[in-house]
Amino acid sequence: MSAQNPSASAAVRRRLGALALHPLTLALAAAVALLALGEAISPGFASPGQIVSQLTIAALLGMVAAGQTLVIIGGREGIDLSVGGVISLCAFVAGNLMAGTDAAIPLALAATLALGFAVGLLNGLGIVLLRIPPLVMTLGMTGVIQGALVILTRGVPSGRSAPALTALMNQPLVAGIPGVLLLWAAVALGVCLLLHNTAFGVRVYAIGANPEVARIAGMRPERIRALLFGLSGMFAGLTGFLVLGYTGSVFVGIGLQYVLPSIVAVVIGGTSLAGGIGGYLGTIGGAITLTVLQSLLITLDAGPAGRQVIFGLTLLVLLLLYGRQRGLRG
Amino acid sequence: MPLLELSDLRKRYGGIVALDGADLALEAGEVHVLIGANGCGKSTLCKVIAGSVLPDSGVLRIDGAERRFRSPREAAAAGVGVFYQELSLVPSLSVEDNLLLGREPRRFGLVDRRAVRREAERQLALFAGALGPELAPDSRVADLSADQRQVVEILKVLGEDARLILFDEPTSSLDRRQVAIFFELVRALKREGRTVVFISHRMDEIFEIGDRVSVMRDGRVVETTAVADTDPGRIVRAMVGGEAAAGGAPGAAPGTAPAPARPGDATLLRVDGLSAPRVDGVSLELRAGEILGLGGLHGQGQSALLRGLFGIEPGVRGRIEVEGRPLRRPTPADSIRAGLAYISGDRGRDGVALLRPILENLAYGLVTREGGVAFPRGRVAGRLGPVVERLGLRFGSLSDPVRSLSGGNQQKVVIGRWLATAPRVILLDDPTKGIDVNAKADLFRMVRELAEAGAAILLYSSEDGELLGHAERVLVFNGGRIVRELSGEGLTRHALNEAAYATPGATPGAEAGAAA
Ligand SMILES: Nc1ncnc2c1ncn2[C@@H]1O[C@H](COP(=O)(O)OP(=O)(O)O)[C@@H](O)[C@H]1O
Ligand SMILES: [Mg+2]
Repeated sequence: MSAQNPSASAAVRRRLGALALHPLTLALAAAVALLALGEAISPGFASPGQIVSQLTIAALLGMVAAGQTLVIIGGREGIDLSVGGVISLCAFVAGNLMAGTDAAIPLALAATLALGFAVGLLNGLGIVLLRIPPLVMTLGMTGVIQGALVILTRGVPSGRSAPALTALMNQPLVAGIPGVLLLWAAVALGVCLLLHNTAFGVRVYAIGANPEVARIAGMRPERIRALLFGLSGMFAGLTGFLVLGYTGSVFVGIGLQYVLPSIVAVVIGGTSLAGGIGGYLGTIGGAITLTVLQSLLITLDAGPAGRQVIFGLTLLVLLLLYGRQRGLRG
Repeated sequence: MPLLELSDLRKRYGGIVALDGADLALEAGEVHVLIGANGCGKSTLCKVIAGSVLPDSGVLRIDGAERRFRSPREAAAAGVGVFYQELSLVPSLSVEDNLLLGREPRRFGLVDRRAVRREAERQLALFAGALGPELAPDSRVADLSADQRQVVEILKVLGEDARLILFDEPTSSLDRRQVAIFFELVRALKREGRTVVFISHRMDEIFEIGDRVSVMRDGRVVETTAVADTDPGRIVRAMVGGEAAAGGAPGAAPGTAPAPARPGDATLLRVDGLSAPRVDGVSLELRAGEILGLGGLHGQGQSALLRGLFGIEPGVRGRIEVEGRPLRRPTPADSIRAGLAYISGDRGRDGVALLRPILENLAYGLVTREGGVAFPRGRVAGRLGPVVERLGLRFGSLSDPVRSLSGGNQQKVVIGRWLATAPRVILLDDPTKGIDVNAKADLFRMVRELAEAGAAILLYSSEDGELLGHAERVLVFNGGRIVRELSGEGLTRHALNEAAYATPGATPGAEAGAAA
């Protein structure tokens, strides 16, 4: 039968090939391989309980990386280094608003999201209006936030998570799955729909791929870019809120450990740092792979410095690979 | 004895003859103008003198001695400096590094950055006040505008201290003030006894600065005279050659040519006193079904007018009406919603997002025109189906990136994007640049269909043939203004050339008289 319709079977084969090469597939394959390696070295590494707890950590990374994905796709050297500062700030604010009571959760969540969005929008306005490079703007913002936090907290951990938030992070909700994973699934669905099935998504990719073409087609690249930074701040704010639930209370530098991994997750996920191509599915795979890699390094007792080195190297190697790929295509 | 003498220079590029026995003699201390239609071999001639192109045959003498430059370095050593039409700047380097490239001042064997900065500032000061504030010695050349790059290339050549300097279209992007400063510098060179070759398409410039003028045609120098002994009409006749005899009547003055009457055709676009950077008080009317051509030399404001109309370039003043409704300080989104479309031949810059799928590229216009939140890919593809069919677009899948297409098919994607918005007025900005003959024919077939279906078309083309073949009326631009309107019998290749090379500012009637 298939011989009668070679073009159809060719199309199917092409689709399968594309699926096999999708960054999500590749990243998940890498994660499974790492899990198997971990299980071999230290039995129990890949137990269901362990996998769930690793996914919980991956969820936190995945949510910051959602914002990072958006600003990177938006192009013009889009990158958000301030996510660490925003996570710390929002965790601090949420912890103090909540102060251990469930009733204050809605207010704390709303305040956190709004604050994250506002900080991100400030980044965006500095970048598009004052033409400050994103790297510089968001790094500067990190400095300002961290400084403010030191003044606000005087360096002492403060704030307290509410029981319900802590449960969301740590207790199974349905079928042994904690609420945070369901939340991540919802966020993932939302981000993917936004990027692929809305006019806004079409615009985001267009301004990343060729801002001048986008402008001539009637889009407003500056406005969209500023908004993307706002969204990145909002996702970082959400992450800060959840981090509070995960750790219970907040110290000043709690968010900084997410900055580099959030970028690496995006890049492993196949989104080009040059903008205009990529997507959130790949980033999800990247976040999971990175988290498993991190756990494996802890199991192997590589130490925090060693972990940083490995992340840096991973980023470099991937950039080299993707860079070469672009060269081939171009 | 002439400073430099060329005899019987020949150069072929495959089947194309660039130089076909060119002769030229330059006297020491003169400003020698070289003029000729595009592709007649002016740049090739310069490159032979500069040692960057080796001629197939011919003799080059300097001070009577036969020379053969095998590299630009050898020519530079003999005192030849060149302003290259395509510019010789390194985009990734700063202005100062470009200005002093290869001859940086040194101290203790190292580049003396302070001296470099001082020297660059001294040179830039020559154009003080005419460059815009954003040009600093440490600006990257890649970030500069076209006129700023040309100025930097001018300064770079001047810094080489050559005794023969060839300027290959150095003023094509400069504004009047910059040209005035450049001419002062040329006069200073002349006072120092240096020899200058100056290539330009602008008659007024030629008569202002030239001592002698040589006209080139088809790879040969056909006439050399003192500038004082010639006039624009004679120069144009020498340039276009045999066609001059067959040429039609001089064109009518602007606005006097009766538009072909087509009762019932509504005016779709009315522009009144529009000014913008490089556009100076343009008025025109465009009716449904009409293809109106914009002619003249490249860069005389045609493209600036179209981009200003569409809202791409800011700083537009004057009245614009689309279907009777005013369009004030338009942005592209406003223009698109008002029923305009803009198709540029510069696909890489203005046309397609190469990395994005064909589907998205086709849908950009719709997304803007219709707004809306959702982007249902399947439904959008369905709606674009007829457009894709009409274009005869050849592709694997609509989700393939545009970069997988050939140049002609990429251009079809741009056209399809605008067809999908059912525009009333279509602005075509040299739309056939770099596409093959078939794609060109397809494009114009479509443009005609659109006009027949009631759209109004404003067509700028750098190829006279396209204007002659498709436009019923042509407005000839010079220096940002409409200097002539040609239509009917008066619309001939000769009239187009004559109007294009006319001096801006002179009254059209006087020019027509001089040229006759
Ligand atoms: N490097 C090249 N390869 C092929 N053809 C060329 C090249 N350079 C110039 N030509 C051709 O030679 C002819 C003369 O070109 P050029 O000297 O640039 O003309 P002009 O400067 O008078 O416009 C043109 O037909 C042009 O297309
Ligand atoms: Mg040339």
